[in-house]
Amino acid sequence: MNRPPMLMHLRFHNDNRKFGLWLPLFILIPLVLVVLIILSPLILIAVLILWPSGWGKLAMCVLKAAWGLFCSMRGLEVDVQNRNEMVYISVV
Amino acid sequence: MTENQKKILEMLSQNKISTEDAYQLLNLVESGESRQESTAKAEAEAKAKPKYLRVTVLPSPGSEHSSDFDRVNVRVPLSLIRAGIKLTSLIPSDAMDKVNEALTDKGINFDVRNVKPEDIEELIGALADMEVDVITGRGENVKVFAE
Repeated sequence: MNRPPMLMHLRFHNDNRKFGLWLPLFILIPLVLVVLIILSPLILIAVLILWPSGWGKLAMCVLKAAWGLFCSMRGLEVDVQNRNEMVYISVV
Repeated sequence: MTENQKKILEMLSQNKISTEDAYQLLNLVESGESRQESTAKAEAEAKAKPKYLRVTVLPSPGSEHSSDFDRVNVRVPLSLIRAGIKLTSLIPSDAMDKVNEALTDKGINFDVRNVKPEDIEELIGALADMEVDVITGRGENVKVFAE
């Protein structure tokens, strides 16, 4: 599996406004992990309750796939601009 | 026959080494060469394997009023496409039936359930050779390629 992305660079501007942001994902990931650890007993109980109906397994698969998708975003770059507006998203 | 193999055979003919030694040396030389070949092959494959799908829409070089055009530059990691396609396995079968029905309605006779991981790899591998380069009537140059 790929390494998770470290930074997300967002830049938007139009005639009136300019907005740019470096989002430090490497700081957000530990925070999300802490939240997941705190919530893990609840998640475990929910998964165990839902397991017989099949939704528990699906939920686990969705979590795994979502993490895989997040890790695969490294290198994504979207740059759309015209004369007046610009949108730039980059995942590093 | 390589230089090393020639040298070993010469040494054998000059009785500098025994037949057994020559046999062992030849084996060593062969295994070393095959390892080098496989490493070179793996490096070449890694170089040829594309990592990103790139879509660009830019004004073509000769077009007038190029500043009026929209410019698009999108780079999508192929791993993201792979992960996205893998998500299809999580689609419930009811929804999958609806997807297939919608595709059939559009004239596409294709069952999404038949998409296997090997097919995805083959498809992504084939992207390396793909290049779309279109100049529209408005003077925009649209390119889709893997890099």
